[in-house]
Amino acid sequence: MRFFSQSYLYDDSWSIVTLAFFLRYPNPYAAHVLSCDVISRDCTPSGTLVTKRLILKQGNLPRWFPKGIVSRAESWVIEESEVDPYGQVVRCTTRNLDHVKVMQVEESVKFAQTTDGKTLQHTEGRVFSRFGWGLTKKIENHGLNKFKANLQRSREGVSVVLSLLRQSRLQPM
Amino acid sequence: MSQSLSPECTPLKKVYDSCFNSWFEGYLEPAIAASTKPEQRTEYAKRKAEEFQANCGKVWEQYKACVQGAVKEKGLDQLLEQAREENPLMEPTPPSK
Repeated sequence: MRFFSQSYLYDDSWSIVTLAFFLRYPNPYAAHVLSCDVISRDCTPSGTLVTKRLILKQGNLPRWFPKGIVSRAESWVIEESEVDPYGQVVRCTTRNLDHVKVMQVEESVKFAQTTDGKTLQHTEGRVFSRFGWGLTKKIENHGLNKFKANLQRSREGVSVVLSLLRQSRLQPM
Repeated sequence: MSQSLSPECTPLKKVYDSCFNSWFEGYLEPAIAASTKPEQRTEYAKRKAEEFQANCGKVWEQYKACVQGAVKEKGLDQLLEQAREENPLMEPTPPSK
């Protein structure tokens, strides 16, 4: 298992960052997202909102990966989130549903409002492989490097959506 | 707004998404103070849920039915069920060797 974590501070308030996070597909940094559907969504008695989304992502296999094992480089991903607008926290976990023996990637993200009105994002990533054939470590390292690069791109995607939201709010009604 | 996993659900998804998004924007900024009593908060949350139901409930049911059909057709329901059962990542992870 390989683990990675990182924190990032947005200057914007929690509500607009959360909105941008939920609206992040499509954006120019997420051309690999082929589809995104809400499969369940419920308001809980305590007032939080729990959502499951099913996302199809296009991936790329590294050149050294054995041919003929993974028939297509697409992957179904499940994203489970809980939004608490009273405590101003979002928690969201994402993991792939297929090719799990080759590689399982789990991401957990938390967005929380800071005391000075900014938003702190904390991200954790875990990468496992049960592939064997002497490739487990190589696959996990590759997965971790991809995870780090994707995290950067995904943040840029959220920032693009954020600036669009900011602009639209400045427009007179 | 992105595509649905099934092209036939995409029009419903777009209507649902835009309805949800305008409700969600208000939901994220509750018109009550954080210090409000729990029962008032429950009451407010209930009103918000009812507001969603009134505005978007109908298209949500249509969109959900469309996606559930497509999920079954593609055999994804088994994948989802399997993931729920196995759920290996919910267990504490052993330290790496």
